[in-house]
Parts: sequence; C-alpha cells; structure tokens
Amino acid sequence: MSMSPFRLPLAANPLAPTPGIFDHALTVGIVGVAVGLLIISPVIFFILHRAGKTSPELNRELYTRYRSWLFIAPLMLAPILLGRIYAILSVGLLSLLCYREYSQATGLFRHRLLSFTVVLGILLLTFASADHWYGLFVALPSLTITVIVIGALLADSPAGYIQRVALAVFGLLLFGACLGHLAYFANDQLFRPLLLLILASVELNDIFAFVVGKTLGQRRLVPNTSPGKTLTGALGALVLTTTFFAFLARSLFAGTVLDHPIHLITMGLLLSLAGQCGDLVLSSIKRDLGIKDMASTLPGHGGLLDRFDSLLLVAPVLFHYIGYFLGVGMDQPVRIFSGGAG
Amino acid sequence: MKEWEYRTAADQDLPPGEKLRSLKREAGLASFLAQSCWRLFVYGYLLTYHRLRIVGREHLPPAPPFVLVSNHSSHLDALSLASCLPWRLRQRAFPIAAGDHFFETPISAFFSALMFNALPMWRHRCGRHALDELRERLVGEPAIYILFPEGTRSRDGEVARFKSGIGMLVAGSKIPVVPCYLQGAHEALPPHRSLPRPRKLVLRIGPPEAFEETENKSSGWKEISNRLETAVKGLGSQGEGRTT
Repeated sequence: MSMSPFRLPLAANPLAPTPGIFDHALTVGIVGVAVGLLIISPVIFFILHRAGKTSPELNRELYTRYRSWLFIAPLMLAPILLGRIYAILSVGLLSLLCYREYSQATGLFRHRLLSFTVVLGILLLTFASADHWYGLFVALPSLTITVIVIGALLADSPAGYIQRVALAVFGLLLFGACLGHLAYFANDQLFRPLLLLILASVELNDIFAFVVGKTLGQRRLVPNTSPGKTLTGALGALVLTTTFFAFLARSLFAGTVLDHPIHLITMGLLLSLAGQCGDLVLSSIKRDLGIKDMASTLPGHGGLLDRFDSLLLVAPVLFHYIGYFLGVGMDQPVRIFSGGAG
Repeated sequence: MKEWEYRTAADQDLPPGEKLRSLKREAGLASFLAQSCWRLFVYGYLLTYHRLRIVGREHLPPAPPFVLVSNHSSHLDALSLASCLPWRLRQRAFPIAAGDHFFETPISAFFSALMFNALPMWRHRCGRHALDELRERLVGEPAIYILFPEGTRSRDGEVARFKSGIGMLVAGSKIPVVPCYLQGAHEALPPHRSLPRPRKLVLRIGPPEAFEETENKSSGWKEISNRLETAVKGLGSQGEGRTT
C-alpha cells in the first residue's frame, strides 16, 4: 500500500510489441501451418471441384467460408503475435461483440441500464487482465452482479425482473468472465504458444467432430439440441484432439510438473470436452430462442458467436487447471497500470 | 411459474449493411450513446447559432405514437422538429428520410441511421406495403415519426402540395398527427447552400388531428393530406405578422 503509483517500470510504452515473437517453436509451427492452410485451401477446393468431388453448391459454400477465414485468421493471429496488450484488448473486443449478439438475440439490449452494466463489467475485466491484477479479475463478476441486481430494481417494475437479471448475469459470466480467462492467459510469459495452441486445438476439435461424425457417425448425440452431432463424432474428436494437444503441449510444459502424460492427456480431454460443450451451450441458446444463427456478420458462419462458441468454456477450464498446478504469469510484473501491491 | 418470453431484435438476422437500411432496425447500446451525444450537440447548436424558438409545445401528445408533419425547406428541419420533443421521447423519434438520398451509399446510410435515427422511404417503391410496415412499427413500438409530406425540400421557401402518403399512414387510426411550421429554415439553409447562415428559426406547433373516421382509401388519403396542408400553411401565415 505504501508503494507510490509512479514506481512502475511502465516499460516506457505499454503498447510496444512484446519481444520474442517467434522464440518458441510452437508459435512458428502453428502460424506456419495456419498461413499454409490459407494459401493451399483454394488450390485444394479447385482440384476437388475439377475432379468432380464437390457439387457446385458445396464449392460455393467452401469459398464463402474460406473468404470469412481470410478475415478472421489474421485478426486472431496478429494480436497474439504483436504482444500481450494487443491479445488482451482483442479478446475484450471479442467479448463485447459476442455479448452484443447475445443481447440482441435475447432482447436484453432493450434494457439499456442492464446492458450498460454488463458492458462496463466486460471492460473492467479486460482492464484487470491488462493490469495483471488477479484480485480485481476474480472480484469483478460478483461485484458486477451486485450492480446488475440493484440496477434492475430501479425501473420499479417487478414483472420480468428474474428474466432480465438472469439474462444479464448469464451474459456477463459467459462472455465477460469465462471468455475473459483467454485474455488473462496473455499475462504468462509463454502466452503466444499457449494461446495459439488453445485456438488451434479448439478449431481442430470442431473439425474432428464434424469429419468423424460425417464419415462414421450413426447414433445422434443430442438430437433435440443439435441434430447434426453424432456420438462417434464426439468420441473421435475427444481422442484426436487429446492426442494433438498432449503431443504439442509437451514442449510448452517441459521441465514443469505438468510435463507428465497424465496431465497432458487430462488437459487435452478437458479442452475437447469443454469445446464440444460450449458448442452445445450455444446450440441450446439458439434453439430456445428459435433462431438459426446468432447474427449474419460472417458469411458462411453466421455470427461471431457461432464461430467462437467452443472457446467460451475452454478458457476458464484450462486456465484453472494450469493455474492450480503451475500458476499463470507468476514471474511477470503485476498491477502494471494501477500500481498497487499484488 | 410464468414462461420466459424472448423478444429477439427485429433486425437480428440481417447482414450489417441491410440492417442500416431496414425499417426494422433497432438501436443497440452503441447507437443509443452515439445518438444521445449527437442530439445534445444539435440542440445546443440550434439554440445558440439559430436561436431556435419553439411555440405551442403544449400541443404535443404526452406519449407516442404520434406523427409530426411540417413544411420542408432545409436539412435543419428534421433536427429542429426532433428538438421540440421532451428528452425521454427524442430517442423514439424517427425522421422518415428519402432512401435514395440518405441511404444510398454505405457511409450515408451509416450516418443517417446512427446519427439521425432516420428510417428510409424509397421514392420508387413507397406503396402500401412499405407504409403498412411503417405504421406497424409506429403503433407497435410505439414510436414518433417526423415526416415531410411535400416529399422534397421546397426550392423557393413556399409550401408545396402535400403528397397523400401521410394519409395512407394514418387513415382510419387513432394516431394523432401534429402539424408544425418551421420558419426561417429556407433563409438559413436553402437547398443550394452547403453551410447554414446564422438565421433565427421559429417552430410553431399546432393542435393535433386524428383521422379515425376517415376511410383508408384514395379519397380519404387525399382528404387527410389536404387538411394537414391547410393546417401547416395556417401556422405559417400566423407567424407572418409578428416575428419580423
């Protein structure tokens, strides 16, 4: 408490890129493969189309999705490569945009004061990550809920009180608190390979479930929630994603307590399970609301949430697993902007 | 236990570009904040630069839905009319603007939607369907429309004949229509000028009229537009003797 707020080694410029962009082999590998895929995909589509393997509709669908990826992929990769503050701010922006789609789909956006409180909560959570202030980060969800619960009283109209409050709290927790953990990861020294590995594994998890399900799938997993998902697809993704993650995460955790097959496999399983469940959470929300997509922002995908749903639950689950055994960002400076103690 | 009722945004499934041009557009938090700042700025500008005076505020209905109609001679008109409303109603006011002028390019559509809260009326297809959609929103929300029945800005400052679209919108309904006359706008910002002169503006608001008994067909529409035209012109001549 006695420390002056000006003691900060405010690294001259907090917006300066974090050094050591390609220090880790995993960063080079994942970025390389992603760029490679973006270059080679149209060639593969062309060959498949020429060979008559894809119908004109499928071909068009593939190109639409590909064009969206040309936008999304750089927007995901660039902030992580640039540095921690950029990664944190872009996750904060993603949280806000996801909340926006959610509030428009549920109708919560009409309650401006509540919506504003949730937005403020998300902004403060982003600040807590950027500041590397864990105390604030864990305090904010309950504090914001307090404000939401009280703010919803002000209208003095009890009809629909529970629904309004519950929708706001659900939105805050899913997009602010849960997704916010992805931003907090950026406080770790190894945030680049770590975040890239999580993003790559979650994307692959979706693809594995889809491909395995389409080729081998028979029994439906949850026909009412998401008719396209099969049990085989889910199990296939579980096995393949876990293998992928465990194999690559070794280099990240080398020399630590997590460098053990049990831990690596557990993390892979948790990631795959949380990823598939996040997908189902969003399917349930959409079914309940009776809408097909969360928005029409990304041609071929739907809304941003339709694309990033699998990340929602993965972030907190992995964060706290790693946090429990290793800690996240333990050797890094804390309270960078606010300058208080721990 | 009561089942939850969700009311998804009416424009939820539209791509971003179409959202701006849609009559179903709903303002989210960001546009609400942007509009509030913009309204504050415009109100200050009108009060100081144009010394805007508003006469007859007591004629405004206390709650929506209602329609403000006025003479049209400059781009200041819609801004001045929105400024006569109490603050809590201003966010419910939608100027009905020519789609082919204000919503043509993505940038103009962005500003018209975000700043002015305007709803587009396409001059080449302003038939029954578009008007029904407008009326549905006016009553359902309920909202306030700012409408210029002349259809375009007057080139010489004189009030032109009112078109019958306003009749199609309100015939056979209880929706009150408030006639207004804005004086001085032609001198301040005539159609050929790009920057406004600091001329005084006076907005006169007349007593509202409703057209519940008027038949919703061609002859009724004409009757409504004629009556409103007379009312607006009457407000215009009222001012001539006094404010010079």
